[in-house]
Amino acid sequence: MAKVLTMADTKREQRRAYWSLVLPGFLLYIAVMAFPTIFSVVLSLTSYNGGKLFGGRPVEMVGLKWYKRLFADEYFYRALKNNLWIVLVSVLGQIPLGFFLAYVLYRGLVRARDFFQTMIYLPTVISTVVIGILWKSFFAPHGAFPELMRIFRPGYEYTMGSHPMIPVLFVILWMYSGMYMIIFMANLQKIDNAVIEAARIDGASEMQVLRHVILPALSGVIVVTAILAISGSLKSFDLIYVMTGGGPANRTSVLSIYMFDKAFKGAPNYPLANAISTVMVIISFALIGLTKFAENKFGGRE
Amino acid sequence: MNDIKDHNTRSRLGSVGIYLVMIFFTVMALYPLFWLVVSSFKTTTEFQMNKLGFPKKWVTINYKDAWVRGKFPMLIVNSVIYTGITTLAILVFSAMAGFGFAKIRHKATPILYGSFVIGILLTLQSIMVPLFLIVNWVGLYNTRLGVLIPYIGIGMPMGVYLGTEYIKSIPDALVESARIDGATYGRIFWRIIVPMSIPVAVTVAILTVTGTWNEFMLINILTSSDGLKSLPVGVQKFAGALSTDYGKQFAALVIGLIPMLLFYLAFRKEITKGVAAGAVKG
Repeated sequence: MAKVLTMADTKREQRRAYWSLVLPGFLLYIAVMAFPTIFSVVLSLTSYNGGKLFGGRPVEMVGLKWYKRLFADEYFYRALKNNLWIVLVSVLGQIPLGFFLAYVLYRGLVRARDFFQTMIYLPTVISTVVIGILWKSFFAPHGAFPELMRIFRPGYEYTMGSHPMIPVLFVILWMYSGMYMIIFMANLQKIDNAVIEAARIDGASEMQVLRHVILPALSGVIVVTAILAISGSLKSFDLIYVMTGGGPANRTSVLSIYMFDKAFKGAPNYPLANAISTVMVIISFALIGLTKFAENKFGGRE
Repeated sequence: MNDIKDHNTRSRLGSVGIYLVMIFFTVMALYPLFWLVVSSFKTTTEFQMNKLGFPKKWVTINYKDAWVRGKFPMLIVNSVIYTGITTLAILVFSAMAGFGFAKIRHKATPILYGSFVIGILLTLQSIMVPLFLIVNWVGLYNTRLGVLIPYIGIGMPMGVYLGTEYIKSIPDALVESARIDGATYGRIFWRIIVPMSIPVAVTVAILTVTGTWNEFMLINILTSSDGLKSLPVGVQKFAGALSTDYGKQFAALVIGLIPMLLFYLAFRKEITKGVAAGAVKG
Protein backbone atom coordinates (compact mmCIF):
# COMPACT_ATOMS: atom_id res chain seq x y z
CA MET A 1 0.00 0.00 0.00
CA ALA A 2 2.68 2.45 1.03
CA LYS A 3 4.64 1.37 -2.04
CA VAL A 4 1.81 2.30 -4.42
CA LEU A 5 1.42 5.66 -2.75
CA THR A 6 5.11 6.39 -3.25
CA MET A 7 4.83 5.49 -6.91
CA ALA A 8 1.96 7.96 -7.39
CA ASP A 9 3.85 10.56 -5.40
CA THR A 10 6.90 10.01 -7.57
CA LYS A 11 4.83 10.50 -10.69
CA ARG A 12 3.34 13.67 -9.34
CA GLU A 13 6.71 14.94 -8.20
CA GLN A 14 8.14 14.15 -11.58
CA ARG A 15 5.43 16.12 -13.35
CA ARG A 16 5.84 19.03 -10.98
CA ALA A 17 9.59 19.01 -11.49
CA TYR A 18 9.15 18.91 -15.27
CA TRP A 19 6.90 21.94 -15.40
CA SER A 20 8.89 23.99 -12.94
CA LEU A 21 12.05 23.29 -14.94
CA VAL A 22 10.62 23.94 -18.38
CA LEU A 23 8.05 26.69 -17.86
CA PRO A 24 10.20 29.75 -16.98
CA GLY A 25 12.21 29.48 -20.16
CA PHE A 26 9.22 28.55 -22.25
CA LEU A 27 7.09 31.47 -21.06
CA LEU A 28 9.90 33.93 -21.71
CA TYR A 29 10.35 32.52 -25.18
CA ILE A 30 6.62 32.67 -25.95
CA ALA A 31 6.28 36.22 -24.63
CA VAL A 32 9.29 37.60 -26.46
CA MET A 33 9.50 35.61 -29.68
CA ALA A 34 6.62 33.31 -30.55
CA PHE A 35 3.72 35.58 -29.60
CA PRO A 36 5.15 38.73 -31.25
CA THR A 37 5.75 36.80 -34.46
CA ILE A 38 2.13 35.64 -34.65
CA PHE A 39 0.89 39.00 -33.41
CA SER A 40 2.84 40.71 -36.17
CA VAL A 41 1.04 38.66 -38.81
CA VAL A 42 -2.33 39.59 -37.26
CA LEU A 43 -1.47 43.30 -37.06
CA SER A 44 -0.44 43.33 -40.70
CA LEU A 45 -4.07 42.52 -41.59
CA THR A 46 -5.58 45.37 -39.55
CA SER A 47 -5.84 49.13 -39.60
CA TYR A 48 -4.19 49.49 -36.17
CA ASN A 49 -1.97 52.52 -36.07
CA GLY A 50 -0.73 53.33 -32.60
CA GLY A 51 -2.45 54.03 -29.31
CA LYS A 52 -4.43 51.57 -27.24
CA LEU A 53 -5.38 48.32 -28.91
CA PHE A 54 -8.76 48.21 -27.16
CA GLY A 55 -10.84 51.23 -26.23
CA GLY A 56 -9.06 53.59 -28.56
CA ARG A 57 -10.02 54.03 -32.16
CA PRO A 58 -11.72 50.82 -33.33
CA VAL A 59 -9.34 48.50 -35.14
CA GLU A 60 -10.64 46.95 -38.35
CA MET A 61 -9.54 44.00 -40.35
CA VAL A 62 -8.49 45.21 -43.76
CA GLY A 63 -7.40 41.94 -45.36
CA LEU A 64 -4.40 42.07 -47.62
CA LYS A 65 -4.52 45.83 -48.15
CA TRP A 66 -1.03 46.44 -46.76
CA TYR A 67 0.48 43.61 -48.74
CA LYS A 68 -0.98 45.09 -51.93
CA ARG A 69 0.46 48.45 -50.92
CA LEU A 70 3.79 46.80 -50.19
CA PHE A 71 4.04 44.98 -53.51
CA ALA A 72 3.21 48.19 -55.35
CA ASP A 73 5.93 50.17 -53.56
CA GLU A 74 9.11 50.65 -55.56
CA TYR A 75 11.15 51.08 -52.34
CA PHE A 76 10.23 47.54 -51.42
CA TYR A 77 11.85 46.24 -54.59
CA ARG A 78 14.85 48.49 -54.15
CA ALA A 79 15.36 47.11 -50.64
CA LEU A 80 14.81 43.55 -51.82
CA LYS A 81 17.35 44.07 -54.59
CA ASN A 82 19.93 45.26 -52.07
CA ASN A 83 19.21 42.19 -49.95
CA LEU A 84 19.96 40.11 -53.02
CA TRP A 85 23.22 42.01 -53.59
CA ILE A 86 24.25 41.10 -50.05
CA VAL A 87 23.42 37.45 -50.70
CA LEU A 88 25.46 37.60 -53.90
CA VAL A 89 28.48 39.05 -52.10
CA SER A 90 28.19 36.30 -49.51
CA VAL A 91 27.81 33.45 -51.96
CA LEU A 92 30.38 34.64 -54.49
CA GLY A 93 32.71 36.45 -52.10
CA GLN A 94 32.56 35.41 -48.48
CA ILE A 95 31.95 31.70 -48.93
CA PRO A 96 34.74 31.04 -51.48
CA LEU A 97 37.09 33.33 -49.57
CA GLY A 98 36.19 31.76 -46.24
CA PHE A 99 36.67 28.32 -47.72
CA PHE A 100 40.03 29.24 -49.23
CA LEU A 101 41.33 30.67 -45.96
CA ALA A 102 40.05 27.70 -43.97
CA TYR A 103 41.58 25.28 -46.43
CA VAL A 104 45.00 26.92 -46.35
CA LEU A 105 44.99 26.92 -42.56
CA TYR A 106 43.60 23.41 -42.20
CA ARG A 107 46.06 21.82 -44.62
CA GLY A 108 48.93 23.54 -42.83
CA LEU A 109 50.08 25.32 -45.99
CA VAL A 110 51.31 28.15 -43.79
CA ARG A 111 52.82 28.23 -40.32
CA ALA A 112 51.45 30.46 -37.55
CA ARG A 113 47.98 29.12 -38.24
CA ASP A 114 46.65 30.42 -34.95
CA PHE A 115 47.92 33.92 -35.65
CA PHE A 116 46.31 34.13 -39.09
CA GLN A 117 43.04 32.69 -37.87
CA THR A 118 42.85 35.05 -34.89
CA MET A 119 43.59 38.15 -36.94
CA ILE A 120 41.32 37.36 -39.89
CA TYR A 121 38.40 36.56 -37.60
CA LEU A 122 38.94 39.70 -35.50
CA PRO A 123 36.63 42.10 -37.43
CA THR A 124 33.65 39.80 -36.82
CA VAL A 125 33.68 40.19 -33.04
CA ILE A 126 33.79 43.97 -32.88
CA SER A 127 30.54 45.86 -32.43
CA THR A 128 28.88 46.57 -35.78
CA VAL A 129 28.23 50.12 -34.66
CA VAL A 130 31.95 50.80 -34.23
CA ILE A 131 32.72 49.14 -37.56
CA GLY A 132 29.98 51.07 -39.34
CA ILE A 133 31.09 54.51 -38.14
CA LEU A 134 34.73 53.64 -38.77
CA TRP A 135 34.08 52.76 -42.42
CA LYS A 136 31.68 55.65 -42.88
CA SER A 137 34.53 58.01 -41.99
CA PHE A 138 36.98 56.03 -44.09
CA PHE A 139 34.80 56.11 -47.21
CA ALA A 140 33.65 59.72 -46.76
CA PRO A 141 34.19 61.89 -49.86
CA HIS A 142 36.94 63.75 -47.99
CA GLY A 143 37.97 60.77 -45.91
CA ALA A 144 40.96 58.48 -46.05
CA PHE A 145 39.83 56.28 -48.94
CA PRO A 146 40.25 58.83 -51.76
CA GLU A 147 43.66 59.76 -50.28
CA LEU A 148 44.70 56.13 -50.21
CA MET A 149 43.58 55.61 -53.80
CA ARG A 150 45.62 58.61 -54.93
CA ILE A 151 48.78 56.90 -53.70
CA PHE A 152 48.17 54.12 -56.22
CA ARG A 153 46.40 56.14 -58.90
CA PRO A 154 47.27 59.83 -58.91
CA GLY A 155 44.32 61.96 -59.90
CA TYR A 156 41.77 59.46 -58.57
CA GLU A 157 38.32 61.00 -58.46
CA TYR A 158 35.87 59.96 -55.78
CA THR A 159 32.95 58.28 -57.50
CA MET A 160 31.50 56.18 -54.68
CA GLY A 161 28.61 58.64 -54.44
CA SER A 162 27.12 57.18 -57.61
CA HIS A 163 27.36 53.58 -56.35
CA PRO A 164 26.48 53.85 -52.66
CA MET A 165 26.01 50.08 -52.24
CA ILE A 166 29.63 49.29 -53.11
CA PRO A 167 31.17 50.52 -49.83
CA VAL A 168 28.42 48.74 -47.88
CA LEU A 169 28.99 45.47 -49.71
CA PHE A 170 32.74 45.80 -49.27
CA VAL A 171 32.38 46.26 -45.52
CA ILE A 172 30.07 43.24 -45.31
CA LEU A 173 32.67 41.19 -47.17
CA TRP A 174 35.41 42.54 -44.93
CA MET A 175 33.58 41.97 -41.69
CA TYR A 176 32.05 38.52 -42.06
CA SER A 177 34.36 36.46 -44.28
CA GLY A 178 36.11 35.34 -41.11
CA MET A 179 32.88 33.79 -39.87
CA TYR A 180 32.67 31.51 -42.91
CA MET A 181 36.33 30.65 -42.44
CA ILE A 182 35.59 29.48 -38.89
CA ILE A 183 32.58 27.41 -40.01
CA PHE A 184 34.60 25.71 -42.73
CA MET A 185 37.53 25.15 -40.36
CA ALA A 186 35.28 23.43 -37.84
CA ASN A 187 33.90 21.11 -40.51
CA LEU A 188 37.23 20.42 -42.20
CA GLN A 189 38.52 19.22 -38.86
CA LYS A 190 35.83 16.55 -38.85
CA ILE A 191 37.25 14.94 -42.00
CA ASP A 192 39.32 11.87 -41.23
CA ASN A 193 42.94 12.85 -41.76
CA ALA A 194 43.89 9.27 -42.64
CA VAL A 195 41.85 9.47 -45.87
CA ILE A 196 43.75 12.54 -46.99
CA GLU A 197 47.10 11.00 -46.02
CA ALA A 198 46.27 7.85 -47.94
CA ALA A 199 45.33 9.83 -51.05
CA ARG A 200 48.55 11.81 -50.83
CA ILE A 201 50.64 8.65 -50.46
CA ASP A 202 48.89 7.21 -53.51
CA GLY A 203 50.21 10.18 -55.43
CA ALA A 204 47.19 12.47 -55.50
CA SER A 205 48.10 16.14 -55.90
CA GLU A 206 46.86 18.83 -53.55
CA MET A 207 44.23 19.83 -56.12
CA GLN A 208 43.04 16.25 -56.55
CA VAL A 209 42.70 15.80 -52.81
CA LEU A 210 40.68 18.99 -52.69
CA ARG A 211 38.39 17.96 -55.55
CA HIS A 212 37.85 14.30 -54.76
CA VAL A 213 38.14 14.07 -50.99
CA ILE A 214 37.52 17.40 -49.32
CA LEU A 215 34.85 19.08 -51.43
CA PRO A 216 32.53 16.03 -51.51
CA ALA A 217 32.81 15.76 -47.72
CA LEU A 218 31.81 19.40 -47.37
CA SER A 219 28.90 19.54 -49.83
CA GLY A 220 26.36 19.66 -47.00
CA VAL A 221 28.18 22.49 -45.24
CA ILE A 222 28.44 24.51 -48.43
CA VAL A 223 24.67 24.34 -48.83
CA VAL A 224 24.16 25.31 -45.18
CA THR A 225 26.51 28.29 -45.49
CA ALA A 226 24.69 29.47 -48.60
CA ILE A 227 21.43 29.43 -46.67
CA LEU A 228 23.17 31.14 -43.77
CA ALA A 229 24.18 33.85 -46.22
CA ILE A 230 20.57 34.46 -47.19
CA SER A 231 19.33 34.61 -43.61
CA GLY A 232 22.35 36.80 -42.77
CA SER A 233 21.25 39.20 -45.46
CA LEU A 234 17.78 39.38 -43.92
CA LYS A 235 19.39 40.10 -40.55
CA SER A 236 21.59 42.93 -41.79
CA PHE A 237 20.46 46.08 -40.07
CA ASP A 238 22.99 47.63 -37.68
CA LEU A 239 25.78 48.13 -40.19
CA ILE A 240 23.65 49.81 -42.85
CA TYR A 241 21.68 51.79 -40.27
CA VAL A 242 24.92 53.25 -38.93
CA MET A 243 26.82 53.58 -42.22
CA THR A 244 24.18 55.09 -44.48
CA GLY A 245 20.81 54.90 -42.73
CA GLY A 246 19.57 53.43 -46.00
CA GLY A 247 20.38 56.62 -47.88
CA PRO A 248 20.97 58.45 -50.08
CA ALA A 249 17.34 58.33 -51.26
CA ASN A 250 16.86 54.75 -49.96
CA ARG A 251 19.48 53.48 -52.37
CA THR A 252 21.24 51.39 -49.72
CA SER A 253 18.07 50.31 -47.95
CA VAL A 254 17.38 46.65 -47.17
CA LEU A 255 14.14 45.05 -45.98
CA SER A 256 14.88 45.54 -42.29
CA ILE A 257 15.78 49.21 -42.78
CA TYR A 258 12.67 49.69 -44.91
CA MET A 259 10.58 48.20 -42.12
CA PHE A 260 12.31 50.35 -39.50
CA ASP A 261 11.59 53.48 -41.54
CA LYS A 262 7.92 52.60 -41.87
CA ALA A 263 7.56 51.98 -38.12
CA PHE A 264 9.83 54.54 -36.50
CA LYS A 265 10.48 57.35 -38.94
CA GLY A 266 7.92 60.06 -39.55
CA ALA A 267 4.28 59.05 -39.18
CA PRO A 268 4.33 55.39 -38.12
CA ASN A 269 2.60 52.83 -40.29
CA TYR A 270 2.66 49.76 -38.06
CA PRO A 271 0.52 47.47 -40.21
CA LEU A 272 2.72 48.06 -43.24
CA ALA A 273 5.86 47.50 -41.14
CA ASN A 274 4.35 44.25 -39.89
CA ALA A 275 3.53 43.20 -43.43
CA ILE A 276 7.22 43.65 -44.28
CA SER A 277 8.30 41.60 -41.29
CA THR A 278 5.80 38.88 -42.21
CA VAL A 279 7.31 38.74 -45.69
CA MET A 280 10.72 38.37 -44.04
CA VAL A 281 9.47 35.56 -41.80
CA ILE A 282 8.00 33.78 -44.82
CA ILE A 283 11.29 34.06 -46.69
CA SER A 284 13.25 32.68 -43.76
CA PHE A 285 10.84 29.78 -43.25
CA ALA A 286 11.00 28.98 -46.93
CA LEU A 287 14.75 28.79 -46.39
CA ILE A 288 14.34 26.28 -43.59
CA GLY A 289 12.36 24.09 -45.95
CA LEU A 290 15.11 24.48 -48.50
CA THR A 291 17.75 23.53 -45.92
CA LYS A 292 15.89 20.40 -44.93
CA PHE A 293 15.45 19.50 -48.58
CA ALA A 294 19.13 20.11 -49.28
CA GLU A 295 20.18 18.10 -46.26
CA ASN A 296 18.19 15.13 -47.46
CA LYS A 297 19.48 15.46 -50.96
CA PHE A 298 23.15 16.07 -50.23
CA GLY A 299 23.24 13.70 -47.32
CA GLY A 300 23.53 14.66 -43.70
CA ARG A 301 23.97 17.96 -41.96
CA GLU A 302 27.40 19.31 -41.06
CA MET B 1 50.16 19.12 -39.98
CA ASN B 2 50.88 18.08 -43.51
CA ASP B 3 53.86 20.09 -44.60
CA ILE B 4 54.48 20.03 -48.28
CA LYS B 5 56.92 17.24 -48.73
CA ASP B 6 58.38 17.71 -52.17
CA HIS B 7 60.78 20.58 -51.98
CA ASN B 8 61.06 21.43 -55.63
CA THR B 9 61.19 25.04 -56.71
CA ARG B 10 57.65 25.13 -57.94
CA SER B 11 56.10 24.18 -54.65
CA ARG B 12 58.41 26.56 -52.80
CA LEU B 13 57.22 29.37 -55.05
CA GLY B 14 53.65 28.27 -54.40
CA SER B 15 54.33 28.32 -50.71
CA VAL B 16 55.68 31.88 -50.85
CA GLY B 17 52.62 32.85 -52.87
CA ILE B 18 50.30 31.43 -50.24
CA TYR B 19 52.12 33.29 -47.50
CA LEU B 20 51.78 36.51 -49.48
CA VAL B 21 48.06 35.92 -49.96
CA MET B 22 47.52 35.15 -46.27
CA ILE B 23 49.52 38.19 -45.22
CA PHE B 24 47.50 40.29 -47.64
CA PHE B 25 44.23 39.20 -46.03
CA THR B 26 45.61 39.71 -42.54
CA VAL B 27 46.72 43.23 -43.43
CA MET B 28 43.33 43.87 -44.98
CA ALA B 29 41.62 42.73 -41.78
CA LEU B 30 43.81 44.80 -39.49
CA TYR B 31 44.61 47.95 -41.45
CA PRO B 32 41.30 49.77 -40.90
CA LEU B 33 41.54 49.15 -37.16
CA PHE B 34 45.15 50.25 -37.15
CA TRP B 35 44.22 53.38 -39.10
CA LEU B 36 41.48 54.10 -36.58
CA VAL B 37 43.80 53.82 -33.59
CA VAL B 38 46.50 55.96 -35.20
CA SER B 39 43.98 58.60 -36.26
CA SER B 40 42.52 58.78 -32.77
CA PHE B 41 45.81 60.29 -31.58
CA LYS B 42 45.61 63.19 -34.03
CA THR B 43 43.84 66.47 -33.43
CA THR B 44 40.95 67.04 -35.79
CA THR B 45 42.92 69.78 -37.54
CA GLU B 46 45.83 67.47 -38.12
CA PHE B 47 43.59 64.67 -39.33
CA GLN B 48 42.13 66.90 -42.02
CA MET B 49 45.62 67.63 -43.38
CA ASN B 50 47.10 64.20 -42.81
CA LYS B 51 44.59 61.39 -43.14
CA LEU B 52 46.85 58.42 -43.63
CA GLY B 53 50.21 59.04 -41.96
CA PHE B 54 51.31 58.95 -38.35
CA PRO B 55 50.56 62.03 -36.27
CA LYS B 56 53.39 64.52 -35.97
CA LYS B 57 52.44 64.93 -32.35
CA TRP B 58 50.56 62.17 -30.54
CA VAL B 59 47.81 63.71 -28.44
CA THR B 60 45.60 61.99 -25.87
CA ILE B 61 43.16 64.86 -25.38
CA ASN B 62 40.61 63.13 -27.64
CA TYR B 63 40.37 60.26 -25.20
CA LYS B 64 39.95 62.50 -22.18
CA ASP B 65 37.22 64.47 -23.95
CA ALA B 66 35.38 61.46 -25.34
CA TRP B 67 35.58 59.53 -22.07
CA VAL B 68 33.94 62.33 -20.09
CA ARG B 69 31.57 63.84 -22.63
CA GLY B 70 30.46 60.51 -24.04
CA LYS B 71 29.69 59.30 -20.47
CA PHE B 72 31.63 56.12 -21.19
CA PRO B 73 31.95 54.94 -17.57
CA MET B 74 28.16 54.83 -17.33
CA LEU B 75 27.74 53.17 -20.73
CA ILE B 76 30.21 50.45 -19.83
CA VAL B 77 28.49 49.81 -16.49
CA ASN B 78 25.14 49.57 -18.29
CA SER B 79 26.51 47.14 -20.86
CA VAL B 80 28.02 45.00 -18.11
CA ILE B 81 24.65 44.93 -16.31
CA TYR B 82 22.67 44.00 -19.44
CA THR B 83 25.16 41.40 -20.59
CA GLY B 84 25.75 39.90 -17.14
CA ILE B 85 22.13 39.48 -16.14
CA THR B 86 21.07 38.26 -19.60
CA THR B 87 23.83 35.66 -19.74
CA LEU B 88 23.21 34.40 -16.23
CA ALA B 89 19.46 34.13 -16.78
CA ILE B 90 19.83 32.35 -20.12
CA LEU B 91 22.32 29.88 -18.63
CA VAL B 92 20.04 29.01 -15.70
CA PHE B 93 16.76 28.85 -17.64
CA SER B 94 18.18 26.87 -20.53
CA ALA B 95 19.95 24.39 -18.27
CA MET B 96 16.67 23.90 -16.40
CA ALA B 97 14.62 23.43 -19.57
CA GLY B 98 17.35 21.25 -21.05
CA PHE B 99 17.27 19.01 -17.96
CA GLY B 100 13.49 18.74 -18.15
CA PHE B 101 13.45 17.95 -21.87
CA ALA B 102 16.39 15.55 -21.82
CA LYS B 103 15.88 13.61 -18.61
CA ILE B 104 12.22 13.69 -17.57
CA ARG B 105 9.74 11.85 -19.76
CA HIS B 106 6.71 13.93 -20.61
CA LYS B 107 4.30 13.91 -23.51
CA ALA B 108 4.53 17.70 -23.91
CA THR B 109 8.23 17.58 -24.75
CA PRO B 110 8.00 17.18 -28.54
CA ILE B 111 5.73 20.24 -28.88
CA LEU B 112 7.56 22.44 -26.40
CA TYR B 113 11.05 21.50 -27.49
CA GLY B 114 10.04 21.67 -31.15
CA SER B 115 8.79 25.21 -30.71
CA PHE B 116 12.17 26.24 -29.29
CA VAL B 117 13.94 24.70 -32.28
CA ILE B 118 11.71 26.70 -34.64
CA GLY B 119 12.53 29.77 -32.57
CA ILE B 120 16.21 29.47 -33.47
CA LEU B 121 15.26 30.41 -36.99
CA LEU B 122 13.18 33.49 -36.13
CA THR B 123 15.07 36.69 -36.73
CA LEU B 124 15.15 39.62 -34.38
CA GLN B 125 14.12 41.89 -37.24
CA SER B 126 10.80 40.18 -37.67
CA ILE B 127 9.75 40.81 -34.06
CA MET B 128 11.14 44.32 -33.73
CA VAL B 129 7.88 46.23 -34.35
CA PRO B 130 5.48 43.97 -32.39
CA LEU B 131 7.95 43.78 -29.51
CA PHE B 132 8.17 47.56 -29.42
CA LEU B 133 4.36 47.81 -29.27
CA ILE B 134 4.02 45.13 -26.59
CA VAL B 135 6.76 46.62 -24.41
CA ASN B 136 4.91 49.93 -24.63
CA TRP B 137 1.55 48.44 -23.70
CA VAL B 138 2.85 46.64 -20.63
CA GLY B 139 4.55 49.82 -19.46
CA LEU B 140 8.12 48.58 -19.75
CA TYR B 141 9.22 51.09 -22.39
CA ASN B 142 12.42 52.84 -21.36
CA THR B 143 13.12 50.58 -18.36
CA ARG B 144 15.96 48.16 -17.72
CA LEU B 145 13.50 45.32 -17.35
CA GLY B 146 12.01 46.19 -20.73
CA VAL B 147 15.41 45.53 -22.27
CA LEU B 148 16.39 42.52 -20.17
CA ILE B 149 13.24 40.45 -20.68
CA PRO B 150 13.46 40.61 -24.50
CA TYR B 151 17.19 39.89 -24.37
CA ILE B 152 16.65 36.80 -22.23
CA GLY B 153 13.73 35.56 -24.31
CA ILE B 154 15.63 35.98 -27.57
CA GLY B 155 18.54 33.93 -26.26
CA MET B 156 16.36 31.06 -25.02
CA PRO B 157 15.94 29.02 -28.25
CA MET B 158 19.66 28.61 -28.90
CA GLY B 159 20.42 28.05 -25.22
CA VAL B 160 17.69 25.44 -24.82
CA TYR B 161 18.66 23.68 -28.05
CA LEU B 162 22.37 23.43 -27.24
CA GLY B 163 21.61 22.64 -23.58
CA THR B 164 19.12 19.86 -24.31
CA GLU B 165 21.30 18.18 -26.91
CA TYR B 166 24.23 18.24 -24.50
CA ILE B 167 22.34 17.05 -21.44
CA LYS B 168 20.96 14.11 -23.47
CA SER B 169 24.54 12.80 -23.58
CA ILE B 170 24.74 12.63 -19.77
CA PRO B 171 23.97 8.99 -18.85
CA ASP B 172 20.39 8.41 -17.64
CA ALA B 173 21.77 6.00 -15.05
CA LEU B 174 23.35 8.87 -13.13
CA VAL B 175 20.00 10.61 -12.76
CA GLU B 176 18.12 7.38 -12.01
CA SER B 177 20.48 6.18 -9.31
CA ALA B 178 20.36 9.58 -7.67
CA ARG B 179 16.55 9.34 -7.73
CA ILE B 180 16.67 5.92 -6.12
CA ASP B 181 18.94 7.33 -3.43
CA GLY B 182 16.15 9.80 -2.71
CA ALA B 183 17.60 12.96 -4.24
CA THR B 184 15.08 15.58 -5.32
CA TYR B 185 15.11 16.93 -8.90
CA GLY B 186 16.41 20.23 -7.58
CA ARG B 187 19.33 18.50 -5.94
CA ILE B 188 20.07 16.45 -9.07
CA PHE B 189 20.00 19.61 -11.13
CA TRP B 190 22.55 21.45 -9.00
CA ARG B 191 24.72 18.45 -8.06
CA ILE B 192 24.80 16.47 -11.31
CA ILE B 193 23.44 18.35 -14.31
CA VAL B 194 25.01 21.75 -13.71
CA PRO B 195 28.56 20.54 -12.99
CA MET B 196 28.48 18.19 -15.98
CA SER B 197 27.14 20.85 -18.36
CA ILE B 198 30.00 23.30 -17.96
CA PRO B 199 31.36 22.81 -21.53
CA VAL B 200 28.04 23.62 -23.17
CA ALA B 201 27.47 26.43 -20.69
CA VAL B 202 30.72 28.01 -21.89
CA THR B 203 29.52 27.86 -25.51
CA VAL B 204 26.12 29.35 -24.65
CA ALA B 205 27.74 32.03 -22.47
CA ILE B 206 30.14 33.01 -25.28
CA LEU B 207 27.34 33.30 -27.82
CA THR B 208 25.18 35.28 -25.39
CA VAL B 209 27.91 37.64 -24.22
CA THR B 210 29.05 38.57 -27.73
CA GLY B 211 25.49 38.86 -29.02
CA THR B 212 24.18 40.91 -26.10
CA TRP B 213 27.19 43.18 -25.76
CA ASN B 214 27.03 44.18 -29.42
CA GLU B 215 23.23 44.31 -29.67
CA PHE B 216 22.12 47.66 -30.99
CA MET B 217 18.82 47.57 -32.83
CA LEU B 218 16.45 46.58 -30.00
CA ILE B 219 17.91 48.64 -27.21
CA ASN B 220 17.93 51.60 -29.57
CA ILE B 221 14.14 51.44 -29.99
CA LEU B 222 13.22 50.17 -26.50
CA THR B 223 14.91 52.93 -24.49
CA SER B 224 15.12 56.67 -24.80
CA SER B 225 16.89 58.02 -21.72
CA ASP B 226 20.65 58.42 -21.64
CA GLY B 227 20.96 56.57 -18.35
CA LEU B 228 19.77 53.27 -19.86
CA LYS B 229 21.93 53.18 -22.97
CA SER B 230 24.45 50.48 -23.66
CA LEU B 231 27.91 50.98 -25.11
CA PRO B 232 26.97 50.52 -28.81
CA VAL B 233 24.02 52.93 -28.57
CA GLY B 234 26.14 55.45 -26.68
CA VAL B 235 28.93 55.20 -29.25
CA GLN B 236 26.46 55.65 -32.08
CA LYS B 237 24.78 58.66 -30.46
CA PHE B 238 28.08 60.28 -29.48
CA ALA B 239 30.35 59.46 -32.42
CA GLY B 240 27.58 59.56 -35.01
CA ALA B 241 26.74 63.12 -34.01
CA LEU B 242 30.38 64.25 -34.27
CA SER B 243 30.60 63.83 -38.00
CA THR B 244 33.26 66.52 -38.32
CA ASP B 245 35.08 66.31 -34.99
CA TYR B 246 37.10 63.31 -36.11
CA GLY B 247 39.55 63.21 -33.22
CA LYS B 248 36.89 62.64 -30.57
CA GLN B 249 34.87 60.41 -32.86
CA PHE B 250 37.79 58.05 -33.41
CA ALA B 251 38.68 58.03 -29.72
CA ALA B 252 35.08 57.09 -28.91
CA LEU B 253 35.21 54.26 -31.43
CA VAL B 254 38.45 52.91 -29.98
CA ILE B 255 36.96 53.00 -26.48
CA GLY B 256 33.91 51.22 -27.91
CA LEU B 257 35.90 48.39 -29.42
CA ILE B 258 38.36 47.72 -26.59
CA PRO B 259 36.09 45.62 -24.31
CA MET B 260 35.14 43.18 -27.08
CA LEU B 261 38.73 43.05 -28.34
CA LEU B 262 40.00 42.04 -24.90
CA PHE B 263 37.22 39.50 -24.51
CA TYR B 264 38.10 38.03 -27.90
CA LEU B 265 41.82 37.84 -27.24
CA ALA B 266 41.15 36.17 -23.88
CA PHE B 267 38.61 33.62 -25.17
CA ARG B 268 39.37 33.30 -28.88
CA LYS B 269 39.45 29.49 -28.81
CA GLU B 270 36.09 29.27 -27.08
CA ILE B 271 34.60 32.00 -29.27
CA THR B 272 35.51 30.34 -32.56
CA LYS B 273 34.24 27.02 -31.23
CA GLY B 274 30.99 28.60 -30.10
CA VAL B 275 30.45 30.35 -33.42
CA ALA B 276 30.92 27.10 -35.31
CA ALA B 277 28.45 25.35 -32.99
CA GLY B 278 25.94 28.19 -33.19
CA ALA B 279 26.11 28.78 -36.92
CA VAL B 280 25.57 25.28 -38.24
CA LYS B 281 22.46 24.65 -36.25
CA GLY B 282 19.00 23.49 -37.31
